[in-house]
Amino acid sequence: MSLKDVEVRSRKTEVLIALAVILATLPIIIGFSLIILSSFSKSMVTNFDPKSFHPTLENWINLFQGKSAAVGGLREDILKYTLNTAIVALGVSLLVTLVGTMSGYAISRMNFRYRKQFLLLILLLHAFPGSVLIVGVYFIYRLIAPLALGSITAFSFFYVIIARAALEIPMATWLMKGFFDLIPWEVEWAALIDGASRFTVWRKVMLPLVKPGIAAILLFGFLAGWQDLIYVRTFLAEKTLATFIEYNLGAPEYAEMPLVAAAATLYLLPTIVFFVTSQQLLLKVSLAGLKR
Amino acid sequence: MKIKSKGFFTRRTSEALIFILPALILIIIFYILPVVLSIYISFTPLKNWNLDRYLGEIVGFRNYEKFFYMLQHDPIIRNVFLTTIVFITITLAINVLGGLGLALATYFVSEKLSAPFRTLWLLPRMAPIAVYSLVWYYFFHGSEIGTLNSFLMHLGIIKEPISWGHDIIPWGPWSIIIFVNGLVGVSFGMIVFTSAISNIPKELVIAARVDGASNWQISRRIFIPLMKWHILYVTTWQLLSLLTTYAHIFLLVQWGLVSRQYGTTWSLYIYQVAFTGRTDQGLAAAAGVILVIVGGILGYITLRMLGFEKMITRPRGDI
Repeated sequence: MSLKDVEVRSRKTEVLIALAVILATLPIIIGFSLIILSSFSKSMVTNFDPKSFHPTLENWINLFQGKSAAVGGLREDILKYTLNTAIVALGVSLLVTLVGTMSGYAISRMNFRYRKQFLLLILLLHAFPGSVLIVGVYFIYRLIAPLALGSITAFSFFYVIIARAALEIPMATWLMKGFFDLIPWEVEWAALIDGASRFTVWRKVMLPLVKPGIAAILLFGFLAGWQDLIYVRTFLAEKTLATFIEYNLGAPEYAEMPLVAAAATLYLLPTIVFFVTSQQLLLKVSLAGLKR
Repeated sequence: MKIKSKGFFTRRTSEALIFILPALILIIIFYILPVVLSIYISFTPLKNWNLDRYLGEIVGFRNYEKFFYMLQHDPIIRNVFLTTIVFITITLAINVLGGLGLALATYFVSEKLSAPFRTLWLLPRMAPIAVYSLVWYYFFHGSEIGTLNSFLMHLGIIKEPISWGHDIIPWGPWSIIIFVNGLVGVSFGMIVFTSAISNIPKELVIAARVDGASNWQISRRIFIPLMKWHILYVTTWQLLSLLTTYAHIFLLVQWGLVSRQYGTTWSLYIYQVAFTGRTDQGLAAAAGVILVIVGGILGYITLRMLGFEKMITRPRGDI
């Protein structure tokens, strides 16, 4: 990057380009800001009218007390929905990380029969998002749900986590392969010659060396599970923040919209926090799958 | 299981099997099995998920015949196809050109200025889909509470609020779904191109600068020719993902922001037919199987074009 500084730029073009970028980004900034702002107002402020902004903390207080009769006097336990969303997100995150670090290690470091076919499969699935397969995935759910021991609610959490995680497996495998590829072989040889098994080498030697990769994949898995709408609405027996928003906008004339805006802001919060704290990691993850 | 090839369970292969087994199981259950089951469902008259009643019945290719018949005669399905083609073509162009434009633009301004914008452009992809949909629901709302309407009314360009998703057919709903998905895809191109540009030797840029080349000339003559592979990569990857994903437009249609007729793409149609309203899983599965075949072929061509062999070189150091 230091060489970039050697360049002489004209100040004027720089300002012009920056202005163009800002202009293009404006709809995103305005759109998100107005929703966040509305959560602190008595009515939605999505029109540019300062008169519709009446500052209040009521939405947030109602939100946390679960008082808000959003539709027809029902109590909406938004904290529970938040917890449900978090359970799905954490589940997806942990499962994707565990499976991805294992398969990523295998295709990066091991030379086994059918490796090429396995890689081709992973790449093909990476290129082909599995979300169109949902009819079949729901069919499996219906077939095995009656066999589930215990509550159907618990089973639906379990199923939505694995099904959603499965969607991220090709990406996670490819990402982790990239991280494992960067580690010098000498490290691994030393351990193997000392008589350690491949599994021990993976766990004790390799995993500590790919910590940035693990952090990236944990974060990415979490955000994937956190943002999900289609899978939770199709499979989960309980509401999450996503289905709460979907449900309220289904009949907006009965909904307490500023309260929904507060729920949406709460829902957006972890994403924003991760954005601010780990930009670089996110950029890295998004690059997964590129050739090196 | 029959093992033909000698020595499948060598120590090395079974060692690797432990590592790939979890991924393999998930792939089999959630990718391969659903395809097989979708093929099966597409031969049954399954409706309303009434498994007990319809699952044993086999109707042959009737769902496929119905699908192709509807494609020829049913205006709804024809609109779905038209929408899919327009949606994919224009969104793809926005994704690739927008990503390229942003990557180049942020290169030519100082890092301090460009970094926050790169992050902001990640937001559409990473934000919760329901929140993202809510944002555009209010932005494009058909009444005066809609941000776009009130903005244009304040400027005096329009007098009455316009119902963007319903009044201007078909380009109103098309523009909305293209815009909403276009923003999601731009970040992908931007990230890939930004990283590609940062890997281009700076000496080339400096040499060109010394010769008096403008930003435009540097982009046109140095960056773009050197990023051919990346441009191809982004184009083909986005093409596939636009063909098969529907999450970001699902709620816009469900909430009635855009008309169902011109806001529904092929993959969204499959989801709607299988899960919302009066459902017909047999038909949905048939449409899904055709989509999987189209996507599979496109995916394979993509990998061949991108030089798949180069991406899977053997691990050199394995003993």
